[in-house]
Amino acid sequence: MHHVVVDQWSRGSSPVHRTDARAKLVALLVFLIALATAARALPLFAGALFLMLVAGLAWARIPVAGALARAALVLPFTAVFAVICWLAGDPARGVSLVLKSYLSALAVLLVVSTTPLPALLRGFGMTGVPRFLLEVGQFLYRYLFVISEEAQHMTKAAAARGASVRQWIGQGQRFRAAAGALAVLFARSYTRAEDVHQAMLARGFDGHIPMLAVSRFRGSDAVFAIAASLAPLALRLAAERLMP
Amino acid sequence: MHIPDGFLSTPVWATLDAAAAPAVAYIARRAQRGFEEATVPLLGVLGAFVFAAQMINFPVGPGTTGHLVGGALLAVTLGPAAAGVVMTAILAIQALVFQDGGILALGANAINMAVLGVLAGYLPFRLWGGTGWRKFSIFAGGALSVVVSAVLALSELMLSGVRIPGSLLGVSLALFVVSAILEGAITLAVVEALERIQPKAVRQALPSRSPVLAVVSLAAVLLASVGFLFASAAPDGIQKLGQQSGISSQIRTLIHTPLAEYQAAFLQWGMLGKPAAALAGVALIYGACLLLGRAAARKRSI
Repeated sequence: MHHVVVDQWSRGSSPVHRTDARAKLVALLVFLIALATAARALPLFAGALFLMLVAGLAWARIPVAGALARAALVLPFTAVFAVICWLAGDPARGVSLVLKSYLSALAVLLVVSTTPLPALLRGFGMTGVPRFLLEVGQFLYRYLFVISEEAQHMTKAAAARGASVRQWIGQGQRFRAAAGALAVLFARSYTRAEDVHQAMLARGFDGHIPMLAVSRFRGSDAVFAIAASLAPLALRLAAERLMP
Repeated sequence: MHIPDGFLSTPVWATLDAAAAPAVAYIARRAQRGFEEATVPLLGVLGAFVFAAQMINFPVGPGTTGHLVGGALLAVTLGPAAAGVVMTAILAIQALVFQDGGILALGANAINMAVLGVLAGYLPFRLWGGTGWRKFSIFAGGALSVVVSAVLALSELMLSGVRIPGSLLGVSLALFVVSAILEGAITLAVVEALERIQPKAVRQALPSRSPVLAVVSLAAVLLASVGFLFASAAPDGIQKLGQQSGISSQIRTLIHTPLAEYQAAFLQWGMLGKPAAALAGVALIYGACLLLGRAAARKRSI
């Protein structure tokens, strides 16, 4: 499994990357709430927000086309419900679902691809999310690729021995074989966690993941937070004024 | 079923975020107390395991595969509180890194899948795990966790004003039942395999020491069913608005006519009408999934 491309993007260097995670989180929340509560003049407002996000992506030197395609991951799910709304005689709602979910995903993507995940989770920690939960999240992300590769090795090995789940016969046996593989993966993950914990204890782990650099909230971060929060609000007011 | 941002109306997501915050804080505290050491690495790595488990395919009928969701399996092996923490962390990572589920909707998704879904998955094991019904309780836990999560998500969407026609509702409920049975079967098979290689991994069903979790899990199941009935019966404002303005009602009749005939044809069968329509829908979706899956598999193998 290749490292997620977002992770590569988040290690770039640009003014947006250097901004404190908390400033970006505040701006993201304001953006999401302004978008979620918008009802009037939505197409115009959405267009303005789209341009704003594209400008943000360009400013952060993130490949714009790649980011736009990645945010489209949300569309299959949305499309199903958009079609349902259309069939139920409410096409306007279908359009609003597509616009809102796509722009929200793009906004989250802009923040996540300019902030390394540890910094982002630390930023969440300052907003009152339980530290324990964030540390579990950190570990989850760190070992995601390790365990996923192990799972891929196991499926490859099973395929090499002739196991294919797409055959018609022997489904019961194949089902049990897959369950066995998962059980082995579970047991290995469990053991790995204990090994990791012992190695961490040996290196002075005291129950909490220490921070190497203390992030300071500078004046420029405050300016960013205020400006980036005001922008969607101003755009919304303008859109509602133009298209009452 | 991860709800993206933009789907839920403001009262719905705001209420669920407000409800999720204390609920998650509570299970986080409980989970921290439940283990003596290695909690953070253990829960993190097992969260990664649930992610990776999606790569191992289970055969479901000819040509299609399914995979583990994991809430009930974690509840049975780690206990409900730790399982809830792991599932919440998974949802957060999915929303942030994989664009799967929204940020404002994170509270809703956490309530559906990590809190109430996990508790509903743990309830049968808690009740019958120590009796002769042990196997059944594990199966029922897997099934119940999926049904409760899915039904809650659907009710929240309907409360937010997403109109779902009755025939589609039947189809989606039928799909939920199918995936619930699958999750139950996978959970049971994995637990049985796990007990063979690591007998201590699965929690012995404890005599109920604290009634809190049992009560909350029972409430989860009740909430899912009652909430669903309420949501499907609640008249929504959006629909009325559509009826008042002429345009959308015209479009509605235009689109509704073929569907109405389709339903009418089935209605002549009397009582069998709705289940038959649902079955036909499932068959259609099954066929479409089969074709798409085949196409995707062929592409990948080249």
